[in-house]
Amino acid sequence: MPDRAEPLLSVRNLKKYFPIRRGVFSRIAAYVKAVDDIGFDINKGETFGLVGESGCGKTTAGRAILRLIEPDAGTIRFDGVNLLQLRKHELRRKRRDMQLIFQDPYASLNPRMTIRSIVGEPFAIHRLAGGLEREHRVADLLNIVGLDPAMMNRYPHEFSGGQRQRIGIARALALKPKLIVADEPVSALDVSIQAQIINLLADLQQQFGLTYLFISHAIPVIEHISTRIGVMYLGKLVEVGTSAQICLAPKHPYTQALLSAVPTPDPAAKKRRIVLRGEVPTPINPPSGCRFHTRCPIAVERCKTEEPPLRQIEAGRDVSCHLV
Amino acid sequence: MTSVLEVKNLKTYFFTEEGIIKAVDDVSFNVPKGTALGLVGESGCGKTVTAMSITRLISAPGRIVGGEILFNGYDLLSKSEKEMRQVRGAQIAMVFQEPMTALNPVLQVGFQIAETVLAHQNVSKREAWARAVEAMRAVSIPDAENRAKDYPHRLSGGMRQRIMIAMALVCHPALIIADEPTTAIDVTIQAQILELLDSLREQYQLSLILISHDLGVVAEVAETVAVMYAGKIVEIGPVMDIFHNPKHPYTEGLLRSVPRLGSSAQKRDRLEVIEGMVPNLLRLPDGCSFAPRCYKRTLECTLSPIPLEHVSRSHGARCIHA
Repeated sequence: MPDRAEPLLSVRNLKKYFPIRRGVFSRIAAYVKAVDDIGFDINKGETFGLVGESGCGKTTAGRAILRLIEPDAGTIRFDGVNLLQLRKHELRRKRRDMQLIFQDPYASLNPRMTIRSIVGEPFAIHRLAGGLEREHRVADLLNIVGLDPAMMNRYPHEFSGGQRQRIGIARALALKPKLIVADEPVSALDVSIQAQIINLLADLQQQFGLTYLFISHAIPVIEHISTRIGVMYLGKLVEVGTSAQICLAPKHPYTQALLSAVPTPDPAAKKRRIVLRGEVPTPINPPSGCRFHTRCPIAVERCKTEEPPLRQIEAGRDVSCHLV
Repeated sequence: MTSVLEVKNLKTYFFTEEGIIKAVDDVSFNVPKGTALGLVGESGCGKTVTAMSITRLISAPGRIVGGEILFNGYDLLSKSEKEMRQVRGAQIAMVFQEPMTALNPVLQVGFQIAETVLAHQNVSKREAWARAVEAMRAVSIPDAENRAKDYPHRLSGGMRQRIMIAMALVCHPALIIADEPTTAIDVTIQAQILELLDSLREQYQLSLILISHDLGVVAEVAETVAVMYAGKIVEIGPVMDIFHNPKHPYTEGLLRSVPRLGSSAQKRDRLEVIEGMVPNLLRLPDGCSFAPRCYKRTLECTLSPIPLEHVSRSHGARCIHA
C-alpha cells in the first residue's frame, strides 16, 4: 500500500520471556514465554484492541512496547524511530509522546498527592510549564475530562472510581501524547460509569487525534472502541483483523470459541456456544505446534507438531491456523 | 409453585458514626422452587447485603431492623444462632466471588468439602471424604480422588470455583446463593461454570439466587430478575419482561449503556450513558433515589418515596412514569 502513511506504531517479532529461577544459585530453570513473537501495526488516529484471557500476555505486550519492561527481542518503531535502540535520555524524551492509563483507579493515584500535583507531575518530570502556567494547564486538563477544576486541591480518596479514572486520563493527556496505551481502563468500573469513560476516550481521540492501544478482556468493549483487533492466546497473536471481521465473522477456532462464550444481555438470544474443554495451559511449557491444539475442537495431527504462522487470508485479516 | 424463599420488607441498616446507612431498604421477593432469581445492580446497591441478610451473616454496625425471611415457610429471623448454623451450608449454601480467599490455603480441598459434611451430618470421616469426592465428580472435576488431596494453590481459578460449588452442593441444599460466581474468571471458563450450574439445577431441583453486575450472565441464567438501586428494588419481573420491556428508567439505562457483541455491524455510535453517579447512601434524596440522574424526572418524583407498583401481573416497577 504505497499511498498509505507510515503506521504510528509498528511492532515486529516482539518477545518477552521471564526467567524462573530455582535453587541456591538462582539458576534459570525455565522461562515464562509471556509474549512470544508478536507483531502488528497501529495507524495514526486508530484504536487497536488487544484481547485475550488472563495470562495471554496482553499486558506484558503493552508494557514491553512502552519499554516499561525491557523486551528480549524485536523492533518497536514508534513515530519513525526504533524505541529499542534509544538510549535512556532519548527514550525519556520520547516517552512524552506515549502514555499509559491503568486498570485500577484506586491503586494508580498516589493517595498523598493532591489532584493538582498528580495531574501536574508530568510537567514537573519533563521540566515543562511551571508556576501559574502549570496551574492553568492542570485546570484545562480537568475541564477536558469533565472534572471541576475547583476540586484541584482534593485528594484521590475524595473521588469515586469513575472520577479517579478521569484523573488518570487527565494525567495521561498532560503532555499531549500521540499514543495512549490503555490497559483495562474500564474493567474496575460499574456499568453506567464504564459507558461514560468509554465515551470520554472516544471524544478525546477525535479532539486530539489520539491513537490508542486498548487492552482488555471484555470483548464487547473492545469491539465497540476498536478499529482493529488482535486476539492473543498464550503469548501469540492468533488472529488480527478489523473489528467487524473479528467480531462478526471470526475465523480462528479460538476467536470463535471466545466470542461464543460471551454472555448476551438478551434472554431470547439462543446461541450455539462452543464450550472449550480444559483450561489454558501454562506459558512455561506451552504445547508444541499450535498452542491452541490441546483445546481446539477441530485440531488434526499436523497441529500438534507444526506451528501455524500468522498469515493473511483476506484483505486486512491475518490468522494463524492450518485449517483456515 | 411453592416458594423456597420469601423475603418480605427486609431492612438491613448500618449504624455508622456519620449516620444510618439504609443498605437494604424494604426489599421483597420470592424464589419459587427450582427457579433462579437474578439480583443485579451496581456496587453499593445492596445486593450482597441482601444475600448476607438471608444467611444472617450481618455483623455490627449492621443490623437487620425489619422484615421477614421465610425459608420453606419458617422465619429465619426468629431462629437462634445455633439453629441458623444448621441452616447455613446445609440448607442454604453460598458461593462467593473470590475462590482464592474463600478457601483455606493450608487445607486439602477435599478436606474442606468434607468438613461441611461433618458439620451437618452424623457420618464417619471416611464417609464424609467419600461424599466430598462424589461432589467433586458432580462438578466435573477430572480425577477427583487425587485432586481432593490437592491444596487450593495447585488449582486454577476455574477449578477453585468448581470446588466452591462442590462445597455448596455437598449437603444437597434447597437454595444456593451465588455472589458474582464468575466475575473473577475468564469468559471461556465462565461458560463452563454457567453450563455446570445449569445442569446441576436441573439434576438436583436447586433454587438459585444469582448476584451479578453482568447483565449477560443474568439473562442466561435467571428466570426472574430484580434490579436494585441504592438499597431498593426498583424493578422486578420475569427475565423477558426486564430485558425486552424494561419499565424503570434505571433498568432501561443499564441495558442501553452496555456495549454489545456484534455492535460493529452498525454505524459506530456513542454509548448511551446514565449521567451522574450513584448517590451517597447517607444523603439520599427525598422521593425517588434515581431522580437526580433520570431523564423522565418531574417535580412529583422528588416529593415523596415512590412505591413499587405492578405494571403487569408479575412485573413491578418503582416509578410513577412506568
